[in-house]
Amino acid sequence: MHILLVGLNHRSAPVELRERLAFAREQLPQLLAKLREEVGLDEAAILSTCNRVEIYGGVRELDGTIDRLHRFLSEYGRVEREHLSSRLYSYTEPQSVQHLFAVASGLDSMVLGESEILHQVKHAYEWAKDSGATGKVFNVLFQRALNTAKAVRAQTAIGLGGTSVGGVAVELAEKIFGQLSSATVLLVGAGKVGEQTVRRLSDRGVKALRILNRSPERAVSLAEAYHALPILFDQLDEQLLEADIVISSTSAASWLLDRAAVSMAMHGRRQRPLCLVDLGVPRNIDPDVGSLENVYLFNVDDLQGLVDHYHQERRQALQQSQAIVNRKVERFLSWWQTEAVTCVPSCSGPAAAP
Amino acid sequence: MVIVHTVCSLLSYVAFLVAFVSGVLFLVQERQLKRKTLGLLFHRLPSLGMLDRLNFTAIGIGFGLLSLGVAFGFIEVGTLLGRWWTGDPKEYLSMLLWGSYLVLWLMRLRSTLRGRRVALLSVLGFSLVLFTFVGASRILLSTHPYF
Repeated sequence: MHILLVGLNHRSAPVELRERLAFAREQLPQLLAKLREEVGLDEAAILSTCNRVEIYGGVRELDGTIDRLHRFLSEYGRVEREHLSSRLYSYTEPQSVQHLFAVASGLDSMVLGESEILHQVKHAYEWAKDSGATGKVFNVLFQRALNTAKAVRAQTAIGLGGTSVGGVAVELAEKIFGQLSSATVLLVGAGKVGEQTVRRLSDRGVKALRILNRSPERAVSLAEAYHALPILFDQLDEQLLEADIVISSTSAASWLLDRAAVSMAMHGRRQRPLCLVDLGVPRNIDPDVGSLENVYLFNVDDLQGLVDHYHQERRQALQQSQAIVNRKVERFLSWWQTEAVTCVPSCSGPAAAP
Repeated sequence: MVIVHTVCSLLSYVAFLVAFVSGVLFLVQERQLKRKTLGLLFHRLPSLGMLDRLNFTAIGIGFGLLSLGVAFGFIEVGTLLGRWWTGDPKEYLSMLLWGSYLVLWLMRLRSTLRGRRVALLSVLGFSLVLFTFVGASRILLSTHPYF
């Protein structure tokens, strides 16, 4: 039996092509059946994300299967074959196994080490399994891939730290307050990065969101989108007493918050810690505010500096991660070889699945 | 009576040790956050909020245990010698320790001080614990039995 892979990703193909080949979840059972009946795969799984579309197949004899997979994809996406084939990569084992393990671990992702792909691989496997498209080999193959990804994440720094300004801001806030579900967040101004940061905070469980903007209409529309409370601009001082995290992204020319204002607020807050995230350029918050006790001030450069630092750490962890992947690939291949020797040929197809 | 005195006192030292450790970790992490230089331990440390709560709880429990330990100590001395205060250096130090942690606990409770300063004081306070525990008999020639 062979394990093969045909696919394209963010490096090999532009988004116009990737979106044409993207598979919707509802279509999967039908398409997986087609892959087995028309293309002749014994086992199959489809991994479709916004950055990649990959078909994994287990087949007894290669015998033109890759060619049939190209045709299958070109028909599915209604793309001319000549146009498509140059964008597709095709691997057989051991590269196909290596590729799957690396993909699951986030080593092939646009943002190195991102964790979303782990869930996507897991779903791809579960959906294929539910459609009866996987057999003994693919069950083990995908479980080992997920297992590898977890080992890589646990043993290396590949997934550590935020990879965007908003992500890092959230991470820092969590380092100060712990769980964010009981934190109150105040967004001042309605800039794009500020909005992204608020979205991330709300993903992390923040419930009490307040939005303050010079134009009340914008504040109201944003507030609706995030189930937040719109606040009038002249209430900033009172809000400063209640908020735990303040994110500012206004284009004002003068300080929104200066040392005296924050110092007074800290007194009123009885020194409860305050996290200030200044996303404005020019800056909205006097940098001197950062030297006040229990005030943690981060500006755009601080956050970007940390993002760069994390990207660098992830790149440094790449080699170590690849070593883990290689080890796991070898272990899988040796399992597979003994399996091929001990049971012929009945357990290579899906029919052998319990 | 002696056993209660010993156990409570030793347990209070353990609680103050917990406050000391959480205080040190708080100071390390606080410094990294203020300077925006995230060191090696950064991802492994609990949040400042959690360290602060642990510190506060440990000081409270330590203070309660120390109060019991000191009280039982005085009762013990009183029944043995007929007077509860003998003027031993250990007695002065214990009262100083008791008073210091009471003040620290009250300051944190009333939020007069918070965060870094409380952490710093709980770290410094532990040196007084060590001195009361070991130093009294070695340096100040206390007649308190054992330590």
